[in-house]
Amino acid sequence: MIRRLSILCVALLLLAVGCGRLDRGNSVLLWHAYSGAELEALEAAVADIQREQGIEIRLVAVPYEAFADKLTAAIPNGNGPDIFIFAHDRIGHWKANHLIEPLEYYVDSAIADRFAFEAISALSYDDSLYGLPLAVKSVALFYRTDLVKEPPTETDQLFAMKERYAGDFSGYPLVYENTNLYPHASWLHGFGGSLFTAEGRQSVATPEAVAALEFARKLDRDGIVPGGVDGRMVATLFNEGKAAMAISGPWFQHDINDGVPWSVTTLPAVSATGLPAKPFLGVEGVLMSSRATDKDKAFRAIELLTRDAAAIRRAKSARQVVPNRAAYEDVELASDAALMAFRAQLDSSVPMSAAPAMRSVWTPYQTALLKVIDQDQDVADALRSAESEIQSYSQGSQP
Amino acid sequence: MRRDWWHAYVVGACLTGIVAVAAFVSYRNHAFTSREEARARHAAKDVAEGRTPVDDVVMAAMVSPAKRSQTYSFLRERQIDGRRLGGSAAGEHDKLFYDAANRADKNGAFVEFVQGTDYVLAAEPRDGGVAIALTIPPKGPEPFPYLVVLGLLVMGALVAAAGTLVGGPARSLGLALGASGLAVPTYLWSGFGLAMVVFALAVFVAWADRRGSIRRIGKELRTGGIAYAFLTPTAAAMFVLVAIPFAVGLALGFYNNHDNNWTFVGIDNFVQILSGGGRSLSDPLNFWFTLGVTVAWTAVNVVLHVSIGVGLALVLRQRWLKGRHGFRMLLILPWAIPNYITALIWKGMFQGEYGAVNAVLSALGIDKVSWFSEWSTAFTANVVTNTWLGFPFMMVVALGALESIPSDMYEAAEIDGASPWQRFRHITMPHLLPAMLPAIALGAIWTFNMFNVIYLVSDGRPGGGTDILVTEAYRWAFERGERYGLAAAYATIIFLILVLWTIVGSRLAKKDSQ
Repeated sequence: MIRRLSILCVALLLLAVGCGRLDRGNSVLLWHAYSGAELEALEAAVADIQREQGIEIRLVAVPYEAFADKLTAAIPNGNGPDIFIFAHDRIGHWKANHLIEPLEYYVDSAIADRFAFEAISALSYDDSLYGLPLAVKSVALFYRTDLVKEPPTETDQLFAMKERYAGDFSGYPLVYENTNLYPHASWLHGFGGSLFTAEGRQSVATPEAVAALEFARKLDRDGIVPGGVDGRMVATLFNEGKAAMAISGPWFQHDINDGVPWSVTTLPAVSATGLPAKPFLGVEGVLMSSRATDKDKAFRAIELLTRDAAAIRRAKSARQVVPNRAAYEDVELASDAALMAFRAQLDSSVPMSAAPAMRSVWTPYQTALLKVIDQDQDVADALRSAESEIQSYSQGSQP
Repeated sequence: MRRDWWHAYVVGACLTGIVAVAAFVSYRNHAFTSREEARARHAAKDVAEGRTPVDDVVMAAMVSPAKRSQTYSFLRERQIDGRRLGGSAAGEHDKLFYDAANRADKNGAFVEFVQGTDYVLAAEPRDGGVAIALTIPPKGPEPFPYLVVLGLLVMGALVAAAGTLVGGPARSLGLALGASGLAVPTYLWSGFGLAMVVFALAVFVAWADRRGSIRRIGKELRTGGIAYAFLTPTAAAMFVLVAIPFAVGLALGFYNNHDNNWTFVGIDNFVQILSGGGRSLSDPLNFWFTLGVTVAWTAVNVVLHVSIGVGLALVLRQRWLKGRHGFRMLLILPWAIPNYITALIWKGMFQGEYGAVNAVLSALGIDKVSWFSEWSTAFTANVVTNTWLGFPFMMVVALGALESIPSDMYEAAEIDGASPWQRFRHITMPHLLPAMLPAIALGAIWTFNMFNVIYLVSDGRPGGGTDILVTEAYRWAFERGERYGLAAAYATIIFLILVLWTIVGSRLAKKDSQ
């Protein structure tokens, strides 16, 4: 009995060891969180690369929410991907944990020139480059063409719209998640503010931030924007015609119902400063694991995936906003108003900071937004307490 | 003569042998590493000073300083003797040299074994570039001296046997001396500390042998071997999945994490939490405020769960009620739906502008409430959601307990002229209580740690005011600068509070049953 049991145990053990050592073969392992049209476009690109260049890329889908945790767990143990696709804003964290490989050895100016400057810069951190960009994401101004003939080009026009629609339109001129820092950052940058000082320290309670937050509150008070809405509500209000315009990103195109006439354009300029409202820019890049099995080959795969031809294909089939400069010389893409609007927005956008310090900004800042917009507290006070909050997080244990 | 001396000796020798072997392996690896690193460093120095490096060098060169791209500050080019590193004509070791030069520019000179290869790489920043040498060790580390260890084991066995022959205290002495023979090579290879560990192990084995523990353990294993074999997988799983994370969690509470640098801070985290971190008592980030909210949250919920649950159970028991089983099914449903789904549905219903709750309120002519802007309303929203989730459990427990009350007791009471209230007070209550107490204790623990409802419904709004201890711990770990140490300390405190609650609760239950 014991002998049989121990034989079974040994067999199981051998099996486990065998599985652990499963040969990865010659292929490049790619982790991604794509689905739907984006996944189809990626699969097509991978098939092309295999056929034309003989490089096999194996795709593994990993759920978006679990992506970062799985990477952190898998790469140090050598079970991670060779390359992966993810947004740029965790690069600082991953770099600190030695999970990603700097690419400036492979990348020269000729390769970098393919992409819009903001897009490739967003993938750099602490003097190194960590990926090549696949797609960019920022919010822009969606509007219903049946309700808005001419979208506003500066913010004063927003306030005028309330009266214009007073008769036949019972709703709001604009809807966006006004207690979420992600869209709010557009106003912050438009008022000339920034979340970080030149030295890279968080700076929250600045005069510009106060002005931007007062502006956001005025939008709410004057009935330009409804309060307390989340992402789903933005789509519902826009679809039902209860909001004439919405600030949201490229993903919003899929949330708009058939039959709703819509278009998209860049965010208006802030009248008080004359500066354009600059949204946060998120860049989806292909990054390399620091434990990639064959780094030369892994980079070849990255480079092939981000080439102009592949980018044009992705833009056409998956409606991705691609960062490749050459892509917008394509006739079909140049005539796509929505893509061109997001492309134009890319030029006035601010890459979200990839520093780990950014991640401690979100919650306190959004608390300040809530305090001011929902509870009508003093703007400067709210921002000051957010700032001291953020500083207390990053100072470590000692006060 | 007792023949079991060798049992103790084998156990002791195995333990001490393992320590001695580990000591030797780490010693020889260290010696090998420092020898090879010195050689690589030497080769790099040779290159820097214009000499031809010694043999066993794979490649050695001066790498030019980084030439930055005009447009892209993060791109830079490096060369060796005018040849660009990388590109289509890249040499085999180009990337190693390029990366090493970058690293040396940033952090100064270094030397290391290159991962996944046999090479040793040394880099040294100099004027006019970085001197880098890649060497390969001509021979591996010292072989392992099996003969020495074997000889020591045999000698130890002889000493132990001699002790046993003499008998009495000499038996223990022989055992201790024999096993601690392995302390000698440990001392030579590693140092005093580990040698003392080996010695202590030997003495421990001799002591255990004297007390007869080893014999008992051996006998136990012989007689109950199969049972232990079956228990081992579960025990191992429990150890890996429960004991280790628990221990790591406890230990983390004594560290501070800042940008991935872990420093030992003693009980600072606990002091910071329990002192309120210099925040006023009305500040939601003060531990005592959160604890107060958590206790209020638990108390309100448990009272509501129990009263609604028991009330419904009493109604459902009535014979006159038509379709009792159908109602029972319906009332258990909230329990059957995953709680995060319920929480998200309630969150949507409490939405200020278009939520169902406000729609009903305004239909009744009451002003819309902005549920999550005030503490009281946000707390209420949480409580409503959790009550919806929690009462079915109490109801099921109460129904079970009610079924077990014999009906002839009620009949007898009725004949004696007891009023419905008296019947409830003197028959139903005493039978219900013993079943409800454990359910209440359990329900309190669940509610105390009800992460999903708080996180998904109010999400701490307004300003963290409705956060309870678990969500607070979560926020310290994942939303506020990754203060894992502080979060772990929070978790430890939550654990201690619940342990205390369990002890007090079981005492109360015991007293009640007496």
